[in-house]
Amino acid sequence: MAAKLNRRLMLAGSAGGLLTLPGKAPAQGGRKRLDGVTLNVSCWNYTYPKLLTEYIPEFEAATGAKVNYETPSFPIYNQRMDVELSTGSSAYDVVNVTFIYSGRWVGSGWVTPLEDFINDPTKTPAGWDASDFLSGATAAFKNKKGQLCAIPWIADVFMAGASRYDLIQKEGLTMPNTFAEVETMAKAIHKKGGIPAMVSENHYGWTYIPWLQGMGGNVFKAPPDDLTPTLDSPEAIAAADLFGKLIREYGPDGAVSMTYEQVLAMLKQARVNYSPNNQTFLAQMAQKEAKSAATCGFSMCPAGPAGRFPGVAAHGWGIPTGSKQKDAAWEFITWAMSKELSMRMFTEKKYTAVTRRSIIESPSFKDSQNLNGFDVAKIYLDSIEQAGRGYMAYRTVPVFPQIDREIDTAIQSIITQQKTAAEAMKTAQQNALTEIKRAGVKL
Amino acid sequence: MASARGWQAEQRRSFMLGLVPALAVLTLVTIGPVLYLTISSLTPLNPTVPGSGWDFSAPWRNYATALGEERFLLSLWVQVKLSAVTVVGQIAIGLGLALLLDTNSRFMEAIRTGFLLPMVLPPIVVAVVWKIIFTPDISPMHRLLEWAGMPIHSLLSNGNTALWAVVVADTWEWFPFTMLMMLAALQMVPKEPLEAAAIDGANRRQTFWYVRLPYIQQTLAVTALFRLIDSIKAFPLIYVLTDGGPGRATEVTNYYAFVQTFNFSYWGYGSAVATLLIAGVLLLSWIILRFGGRGMAGADHA
Repeated sequence: MAAKLNRRLMLAGSAGGLLTLPGKAPAQGGRKRLDGVTLNVSCWNYTYPKLLTEYIPEFEAATGAKVNYETPSFPIYNQRMDVELSTGSSAYDVVNVTFIYSGRWVGSGWVTPLEDFINDPTKTPAGWDASDFLSGATAAFKNKKGQLCAIPWIADVFMAGASRYDLIQKEGLTMPNTFAEVETMAKAIHKKGGIPAMVSENHYGWTYIPWLQGMGGNVFKAPPDDLTPTLDSPEAIAAADLFGKLIREYGPDGAVSMTYEQVLAMLKQARVNYSPNNQTFLAQMAQKEAKSAATCGFSMCPAGPAGRFPGVAAHGWGIPTGSKQKDAAWEFITWAMSKELSMRMFTEKKYTAVTRRSIIESPSFKDSQNLNGFDVAKIYLDSIEQAGRGYMAYRTVPVFPQIDREIDTAIQSIITQQKTAAEAMKTAQQNALTEIKRAGVKL
Repeated sequence: MASARGWQAEQRRSFMLGLVPALAVLTLVTIGPVLYLTISSLTPLNPTVPGSGWDFSAPWRNYATALGEERFLLSLWVQVKLSAVTVVGQIAIGLGLALLLDTNSRFMEAIRTGFLLPMVLPPIVVAVVWKIIFTPDISPMHRLLEWAGMPIHSLLSNGNTALWAVVVADTWEWFPFTMLMMLAALQMVPKEPLEAAAIDGANRRQTFWYVRLPYIQQTLAVTALFRLIDSIKAFPLIYVLTDGGPGRATEVTNYYAFVQTFNFSYWGYGSAVATLLIAGVLLLSWIILRFGGRGMAGADHA
């Protein structure tokens, strides 16, 4: 009953928030403010955008707007949006600002600074509170003037999880804390219970970096100022060698090309044990329908000799500068990222990669993130705080997508033993230098 | 006489006028984009760099970069391997099946229709089908081989086998096309020389080699040309199955151009790679058509 009441109150709250905005009162005679407005909204296909689909009819009913909403796959989305934004197209009104493209899209002025909207009480409800968003999540979306250009809908952190923590315990071990412990654990549990020890998704430009930085290396010399690549440093080679070996020797057949969907499915079905991966995926191992629900375990991502470097990636809603309906677009964003809807998505859909501090620190969130006895909320917040040290700066420089691809290729070559770690990383370094020079970056 | 010349000139003028709309459409739809591609290839066009589309200060830079880049040259080699094996494989399988199915019965017609299925599926569906077949975790092929005591490792995750896995999928998708072309050509072979060969005591191999093959030679050449051009355009299979990997094991030239253009926004450079690809395709077409033409001439004399 309490839950129903809460839900009703929230429904009323979110709809009310829209309808009682100063200067935004519904028009007389039954007309709604955005009657006749069609908003084109696009985001890549992920948990949150898919969940949002179910709520959009509420926005349409409350405002009268029609929303054309699409969620293509990640690479398709980025390619399409790169073209749309770079050409100043007005085809889209609200778009996802992708983390690795944020330096490029925000830096090039392709998305609208949102300060004017945020600070205008006629456009933003009083309690909306832009400062509630985690600073670690908003950092990537600020332009050189410090203006926020997107509102983060996700702060996904890189942590670690095991679908069969019971098998790890059986070997007298706990969730590994260091790279060395990961190797020891992998050796001990490989093929135990008939499943391989570990897996990583095939986006190695993301999953390899915590190992690279943990070994003391980095992608660039001193990003964002000095973008000289450092992919052939001894630390980078050692990290690639270790990472490649772990996936090759302790991964399932075909591990090198497994997408995050495949990895997630395997983890939920407990068909592979340990995976350093995103919180969004790993938390799903504790869902009731998952085979791993009663046996899963969690930890922060392992630390190397140089420390712990959990990746943090944020994606946010932005308004293309070419959009002809910026006010309506902002209304969509304030609705989608309102406290009420964020809380509803958490309570109703169990969406936990939220970006509002007020929700993360709420007792109900903390309780819900106690998964199988592991305090995942603490892992989440601790990881985001770690990222505050600034080591994610490599990822938002405009030239990173090219380097990301080079890292993918190098790690694939190492896992499949087409090249040694030293050969692959030296080739990646050469190619990265070529790409950076071609992009016009002065080293 | 003068009026006859005037009439002929008037007729030519009328023909030309009649052709103008078609030529305009052709120019707009076909030549225009290619021209734009070629012009873009002479610039460092990058949507993130204002004015780069009009920078003709170093027009051959993209071509020099491409021809000096190991990754581009490697992609050409991967392309050669993919094209050569798929075209030969598809022609061999298509021709073999066409010879088997070259009879007129309802049963054979039904079988022929069944064989066409891979070709009529959308390419992305074909790619998904083979992704399932090649993913050990969910693959019926892997389970069957395991059951038969002959387990194999993932073909797509091995740098030595990934390209051949793509070749298998591409051959499966397109052998019906070659089969159809061969079947049509075989059914056009006149009965008289076949009967004469039979009376002369020629066996099936001799009949094929000395009678049927000369008749279908040009169709073979044209089919090979079509498949060659299509193999150079191979994209969905590679995109879904391997993403050009592992490493660069399956990165063909048009995939390389795609990555450079759409992942990295080097539109000028990508245009140069695409222009080189078009030039290569045109050259190959010319060679094969000449070869096919000679074959036809040979067939006429036979």
